[in-house]
Amino acid sequence: MTNNRAKYLFLMPGVIWILAFTLFPLIYSFGLSLTNYRLGRNPKYIGFENYAEILGIGDEKIDKKAVSTASFSAFLFLGSTATTLFFGTFVAWVFNHSLPFLRQMRAIVTMPLFAAPIAVGWLGVVIFNEQSGPINNVLEGIGLGRVNWFIEPMPARLAVMFTDVWQWTPFVFIIILAAMQSIPDDLYESARLDTKSNWQLFKSITFPMIAPALGTVMLLRMVESLKIIDIPYSLTRGGPGSVTQTYVYYAYETGLVGSFQLGEAAALAYLLVIVAIVISSIYFYRVRERFE
Amino acid sequence: MTANAKNLPLTESRNAFSGRSIQDYFIIFLALTCTFIAFSPFGYAILTSLKSEWKSGEIIPFIQFEPNLLNWQQEFGSGGAETMKALRNSTLISLGATIVATTLGTLAGYGLARFKYGIGNRNLVSWFLSQRFLPPVATLIPFVLMFRDLKLLDTLPGMVIVNATFTLPFAVLIMRDYFADLPPEMREAALVDGATEFTTFLRIALPLARPALVASTLICFAFAWNEFLFASVLANRNWKPYPMLVAGSDTVRGIDFGFVTTRMLIAVTVPVILSLMVQRFIVRGLTFGAVKG
Repeated sequence: MTNNRAKYLFLMPGVIWILAFTLFPLIYSFGLSLTNYRLGRNPKYIGFENYAEILGIGDEKIDKKAVSTASFSAFLFLGSTATTLFFGTFVAWVFNHSLPFLRQMRAIVTMPLFAAPIAVGWLGVVIFNEQSGPINNVLEGIGLGRVNWFIEPMPARLAVMFTDVWQWTPFVFIIILAAMQSIPDDLYESARLDTKSNWQLFKSITFPMIAPALGTVMLLRMVESLKIIDIPYSLTRGGPGSVTQTYVYYAYETGLVGSFQLGEAAALAYLLVIVAIVISSIYFYRVRERFE
Repeated sequence: MTANAKNLPLTESRNAFSGRSIQDYFIIFLALTCTFIAFSPFGYAILTSLKSEWKSGEIIPFIQFEPNLLNWQQEFGSGGAETMKALRNSTLISLGATIVATTLGTLAGYGLARFKYGIGNRNLVSWFLSQRFLPPVATLIPFVLMFRDLKLLDTLPGMVIVNATFTLPFAVLIMRDYFADLPPEMREAALVDGATEFTTFLRIALPLARPALVASTLICFAFAWNEFLFASVLANRNWKPYPMLVAGSDTVRGIDFGFVTTRMLIAVTVPVILSLMVQRFIVRGLTFGAVKG
């Protein structure tokens, strides 16, 4: 009996904390999304009208800004996820050799991951600066000419993506490197009897062995890419116009800046919660055995 | 450290550079390139922060420009009051959040590693991790109203609650993994001796888990230190943490590169140094246990 009570005592504080500060706000948020609440006004229940307005259901016109910001988020979701996976795997392959100094270099390579994203955005402002930033200086030096990173839409989108990729490649790198290091040596020993080509070895052994870890990292990156707000906030302020405004940035601006339309912002956020729930369900399904 | 030296086909000799092939040098060259790409933006920022007058293309200290510490002196000297207050706020908020998250995380992590629960341990793990999967705006909006009603806006307890909430998943997972790897016989032996579950945890398990406790503490601290979004709404006056100063760097004097990079570097130093100390735990912590490091 004491055993039984004790085991719940260990768990309860944490469970209650999540209940109070994650689940309760989430339910609260759903309630808000069914109102026309603005800060300083009395909220009125309006059913699913906010959702209808965003999605353009019934008489409503679709919220164009929600669509355009969602499309930039989709751009990052695909572009940033794919690019970090590619580079991260490559860097992991490079560092999965026993050569001098690689260990020291590995620590340096992981540094961007731990820098505050808001500061990384500012770093981007300095690096991508059109007149004097090192990127434009290098591009001009090698004859490609200067790019108007903050004036033209596509370069601005890419600047946000590159900055995010720079910060998150180390994340993929350390996880995939760990996966590569857990591949038993004898697999390579026997395969080397058949081929000497590094590419063949990678394709027939390394890749299949790291595929599960790649799947996990991909899902985590997807979730993170949907949350991007700090980097465009400091790098581009969502501009030019709102081409680099992400969907969460738009929800943030709607609910927490200016007119504080909390009801509408909650509805915007809730649509994203649904996407997050889908991705996290896949994630938890994949890792389920580990936690029993 | 994880076994860094799993031999890939390329290398036989381990001593320095003797007997290395061209291919080895090529790999080292690639590794250097990666290191350069990861570090050079920081390096460029460091150089920029050492210039009081900013000119394009001047990047070699002493030869192209005379480095000085004016920006740094200004940040800590004349602008010092604001800077020191924000750094103090960041420290207290991160410290408070870390204590709460690590305490709750250690208890829950021990429970999840040692007992079976009726609703299924994996469901409980999902429960603890769910927060990391939610878009922060979804919980930020109700937090504004909850904190307003509870009088927690712009207070230390409010900021501690927020940061503890989203660092808790890291603490739970790191601690759970570590406790799960400890031999269960130790606990059983202690229980046979008549110790209660809680004494066993306190006297046997906790001292053994010191490395994981350190890792959990540092990772929670680093992530709380970096938090900007919630702070920008919930603490924008007295309890402003340092990332808020970084975010507002342009409104003070336009964009002054020396000034911006100095602030950026101050913000970045603490978590980056902490991360270098916990390399071993990073993989598990970041994948929530899905990949063993």
